[in-house]
Amino acid sequence: MKPAPFRIERPRTIADAVALLASGGDGAKVMAGGQSLGPMLNLRLATPDLIVDLSGIDDLRTVREEAGHIIYGALVTHADVEDGRAPDVGTNILRRVASGIAYRAVRNRGTMGGSLSHADPAADWVNALSVLGAEVEIAGPAGARRLPMGAFLAGALATALEPGEILVGVQVPKVPATARFGYVKHCRKVGEFAHAIGAVLIDPATGTGRALMGAIDAPPLVLADAATLFGGRIDAGFAVRFDASAANAALVAAGLTDAVDRHVHVEVLRRAATQAASLFTDTRSAA
Amino acid sequence: MTASPRPETIAMGASRMISLTLNGRPVTAEAEGRTNLADFVRDTLNLTGTHLGCEHGVCGACTILVDGEPARACLSFAGACQGADVITIEGLDDDPVTAELRAAFNREHALQCGFCTPGMLVSARDLVLRLPEADETRIRLGLAGNLCRCTGYAGIVKAVASVISARRAQGIGPMTAERPLGPVGARAGGAVSAALPTTVATAAAPSATTTSLAEDFTPAHSFEQSFEVPFPPAEVFAFFGRIEEVAACLPGAVIDAMPSPEKVEGGMRVKLGPIATTFRGSARIGRDDATKSGTIHGAGADGRSRTEGLIRYRVTDGATPGTARVVLDVGYTLKGPLAQFGRPGLVREVAGRLIAEFAANLEARLGGTQPSPTQERGLDPLKLLISLVSDRLGRLWRRGGPTS
Repeated sequence: MKPAPFRIERPRTIADAVALLASGGDGAKVMAGGQSLGPMLNLRLATPDLIVDLSGIDDLRTVREEAGHIIYGALVTHADVEDGRAPDVGTNILRRVASGIAYRAVRNRGTMGGSLSHADPAADWVNALSVLGAEVEIAGPAGARRLPMGAFLAGALATALEPGEILVGVQVPKVPATARFGYVKHCRKVGEFAHAIGAVLIDPATGTGRALMGAIDAPPLVLADAATLFGGRIDAGFAVRFDASAANAALVAAGLTDAVDRHVHVEVLRRAATQAASLFTDTRSAA
Repeated sequence: MTASPRPETIAMGASRMISLTLNGRPVTAEAEGRTNLADFVRDTLNLTGTHLGCEHGVCGACTILVDGEPARACLSFAGACQGADVITIEGLDDDPVTAELRAAFNREHALQCGFCTPGMLVSARDLVLRLPEADETRIRLGLAGNLCRCTGYAGIVKAVASVISARRAQGIGPMTAERPLGPVGARAGGAVSAALPTTVATAAAPSATTTSLAEDFTPAHSFEQSFEVPFPPAEVFAFFGRIEEVAACLPGAVIDAMPSPEKVEGGMRVKLGPIATTFRGSARIGRDDATKSGTIHGAGADGRSRTEGLIRYRVTDGATPGTARVVLDVGYTLKGPLAQFGRPGLVREVAGRLIAEFAANLEARLGGTQPSPTQERGLDPLKLLISLVSDRLGRLWRRGGPTS
C-alpha cells in the first residue's frame, strides 16, 4: 500500500525540528530512519499530515564518550553499533544486540533514537538499554531534560515525550570489565520482533546484578536487584541457582495471566543468565 | 535544478524536485512527500528492476544500495534522500561481485520467477563483501530479510557460498567502505530548514457507519479488568447510567446523539503510538438494576477498519465499606486492514491505561471535581475500537514489522 499524502520537512537543527513539530500539533510525526514509522505509513495505520525528518540534523549523528558512559546521538544506526563505528559500552554488549535487530538493510537506516521513541515493547533497544540502566536526553519547547528508561517508557508505543519534544540522545553507562551481559530473545523467524526477551547484567565482583523480562506487551519488567533470582546472592556460580519460581512470581505480579507466556519468558531469562555465566569463561567472537 | 541549499519542504500532495545520484548519473525529478525510492525509480525514472513486494520492509524485494549499503527502498522516502547515491539492480551490470553472483545464481539454479532476485543479489553482494568468512548458517542469517517464495533457498545459499569461497580462496578480505554515522542516504548538506509551513488542513472526519449490532455477537478476543473507587456501589452504578458523564470521563470519547436512552451515537478518538484515528459508530446500552450490572454493545469504523465490542460491567462492594469495585469484561472483534495484525496482550495493556485514566476521572467527577482535560486516548462505549486498533498494530510488529 502507499502512504496517505503527507508533507515532509528536513530541518537542519534540533531547535528547528522542535519548532516544526510543535507547529504541526497532533498531525505531526517525527521520523529518523523511518524503519518503524515507514511500515505504519505504508499500511496507512499512521496518517500524519507532516513528517519532521530528523536525518539531516548533524548534531544527532554523533557519539560522545564521557567518564563512565557513552552518549549516542539519536541518529546512530543499528549498523553503526554493529560495525563498531559507534563505540560499545563494553566488550560486545550493544554490538551483539544491534546485529540481531531486523535485517542488515533495515539496520543501515534504523536508529537507536527512533526505536526508543517508537517504544515497541518487543524492540531490542527498548529492552537492552533498560537493563543497562540508560537514560534518554530530550529536547523540547521547554528546554532539555533527561529521563531514565523506566520513566521514559510510559506504555506500549507510549513514551513520556511531551508535544514538541524529541529524543536527541541516549546515555548508556559503561559496563565494568568484571561484569557480563546476557541477552536472549525468542523469535520464530530471524529478524522479527521478539516474543520474549530475557537479559541480565551480572557483576560477581560487586555481587550486583540487574535482570529484565521484556516483550510482555508493556514496558519491560526490570529487576534492579537480580539477587532474588539467584538465591539471594550473586557470585560466580549465580546461574545454576536460577530460581524460576521467583521470575514467575515477578511476572504474575506484573499481571501476566497466561501460564504458557510466563513459562516462555522465564525460560528465556534463564537462558540469558546461562549465557552471561558462560561469558565468564568463553572467548567470544563478534556476532 | 541541483541539490543546492534551499528549503527542503515537500508539500502534502504537491510535488517537489528530488535530486540524487542514480546509478552514477545525477537525476532530478518530481516526487511527492510520500514517494518512496522504489516508486521514485520505477514510476518516475522507468527503472523497473527494483521490485516492490510487501511494502513494509519484510520481504526484501526492494532492497537497493543507498550510499553503497543495502537499504529498503520501500521504507526510504525520496524526500529524505536528497543528494544520496542510489544504485539499483540496473546499476550493477558492470559490478564485478554482482557479475560473479549472477554467474553463480545461473549455475546453481538460484531463481525461477526472479521476483526476489534483484533484492536478493543486492543483499548477497553485501554478504560477500562484508563477511568473507561467512558459512552456510551465517549466509542464511544474512538472507533472512529477503524472502523467496518459489525457488527455495538451497540454490541461492549455494550460489552465495560459492562466490564467497572463491573469493576466500583468492585471499580477498572484507571490503567495507568508510561511512559517517547515521542512516545511509541521509545528507545534511544541501538543505536548510524551511520556514514554518502553513498549517495543513486536517483530513475530514470519516463518515459515520451504520453497523447493525447482532444479538449473538461473539467476540474474537476478550479480557477482564477491574478497578475500585471510594464511593458506594449504588452511587457508582447510578453514574454509569448517565452516559454523557461516562463519556466525559473517557479520554477521546464524544457523543453525537442519543436517539433513545438505550442508544448512543458518537465517536472515539484513538491514539496509539504513531496511529491516530477516529472510530465513529453507535452503541446499545443495557442495564440491570437488580444486579448492578450493564452492557455496552458498540460498533464503529474509521473508514478502513471496523470493530465491534461488548463490554459487560458490574458494580460490587469494594474491599472496604462504602467503596465500589467495577469489573469490566471486554470482548471485541476487529476487521479490516488492522485485522491482519493482532496482539491481544497489547490491547489489554492499552485498555488498562485507559481504564486507569477513566477510573481517576470517574473518581474526580463523583467527588465533585472536573475530570482532567481530555487526553487523546479513549476508553469508552466504543472502547472496542481502541482495542481493535492496537490489536492490528500489534500484529504488524509481531509478524510484519522488521524493525526494532
